[in-house]
Amino acid sequence: MNSRNGKPSSGVKKRKKAGNGDAPSRFYGVPLPGVKVEDLSGTLFVLEGTDGSGRSTQIALLTEWLESEGFAVQTMGLRRSFLVADDIDNLLAENSVTPMTLALMYSTDFFDQLERRILPALRSGLIVLADRYIYTLIARSAVRGIGRDYLHGIYEMALRPDLTFWLNVKPEVAFDREFKKSQTISYWESGRDMSLSNDLFQSFIRYQSLIRREFDYLSQRHGFIEVDGEASVSEVNRVLRKRIASALGIRSTHYKPSHALAQLWR
Amino acid sequence: MAMVLAETPTAIRTAPTKFPLPKRQYPGALVVVEGIDGSGKSTQLYLLKRWLEIGGYRIHFTEWNSSPLVKSATRRGKQRRLLTPTTFSLLHAADFADRCERQILPLLHGGYLVLADRYIYTAFARDAARGCSPHWLRNLYSFAPIPDITFYFRAPLDVAVNRIVAGRPKLKYYEAGMDLGISLDRAESFRIFQERILMNYDAMIDSDQFVLMDGTVQVNKLQKLMRQVLSEKIELSHFAPKK
Repeated sequence: MNSRNGKPSSGVKKRKKAGNGDAPSRFYGVPLPGVKVEDLSGTLFVLEGTDGSGRSTQIALLTEWLESEGFAVQTMGLRRSFLVADDIDNLLAENSVTPMTLALMYSTDFFDQLERRILPALRSGLIVLADRYIYTLIARSAVRGIGRDYLHGIYEMALRPDLTFWLNVKPEVAFDREFKKSQTISYWESGRDMSLSNDLFQSFIRYQSLIRREFDYLSQRHGFIEVDGEASVSEVNRVLRKRIASALGIRSTHYKPSHALAQLWR
Repeated sequence: MAMVLAETPTAIRTAPTKFPLPKRQYPGALVVVEGIDGSGKSTQLYLLKRWLEIGGYRIHFTEWNSSPLVKSATRRGKQRRLLTPTTFSLLHAADFADRCERQILPLLHGGYLVLADRYIYTAFARDAARGCSPHWLRNLYSFAPIPDITFYFRAPLDVAVNRIVAGRPKLKYYEAGMDLGISLDRAESFRIFQERILMNYDAMIDSDQFVLMDGTVQVNKLQKLMRQVLSEKIELSHFAPKK
């Protein structure tokens, strides 16, 4: 009774950051046990894209830019939890893990980071930059035959990002970049567990094309901001800064990388 | 209430879905026991297993939380008390998925009678008592095959709790539900936690077609009943040794 009277929706504050007018709930479904949504004053920005899409480079640059603007930044990513990161590494090394088990280990990894690191950061008003989020996890499992609604159900307690950028690159470009970087292509990034092709290049292209198709679907479902990941680092960074600055309500988007990061600026 | 994130399904062609399947067809059968600690379920399943083993039936016994997969994570989480209701639940689900995909399902497809000491209802009862959303839990385990028989062993709370507390010098932190902050006294916390679990089990009796077993009945009499129910509900000749 009290929610609709008096001040307009005082519980669920209309977030000035939320860009396009409507203020969706900060969680997809029910919030995590014990979490008060109104305590989360920080902001969550997500960068998605395959290996070779330039995510990590952009995260490093955005962190420096935001810190120079006076914002405190926390980052998250996949396999970075204290609880199960090592266990997932071991599972991946063995190549004997089944898709459902891997999906659930990754979700444990995700929620351990979210509950013990990210929510406290957001309560303290920090900016969280996520180097991949639930969408990669959903896409990877979905191409391996696990139901999309099932996967969305697992992550219904995940926090809805303020903005999600999809650095979209063609699989061929991702292949070139990855190969240049590490002189090889990883077993999992080429989906070799899926028996798509004995040829490593073909396997990589086919796997990444399947993932990209899932991202097309996810992009529509969740309203990603699609960014041309094949543009130059500085151009992609300019686009990201513009959207983030407007979400944060800051004017200055001017940025030149420091000496330490200058080599990333291509 | 379908709590999915979808607004509108799109026309994009995506990969076909294998999990979760609505109904599986396999020649095997799945029999599980459920109930709170101290309800007598493990003893009874052991006796049932011995009976079938001695008779030479094609059976496989599996129990909850037995795989090495999550052992180190569970230990790490428990020792340092890092597990939240969500990560506790997900870790157990990952462990169960491993057992399900690599043991239970292949065995069911291979025509085995699979006996499980605790099954997904343990997670439904226990994790919901920790505060996980029941709806979320149901979705989480929707990849699991539905048992042919679920024996639910029910003993009064005091009986069950006394059996456990008497035989154990110290209740463990998570076992006693200390993470819920109900009480600083472990025995008291354990009791309240078990009471919540018991209530959650009771709520599933009809919806999940539990066969109710009175855990206060004499062991041998209860076992006789269990064998009778099994013989009635399952065509045991399918699992009998080939002549």
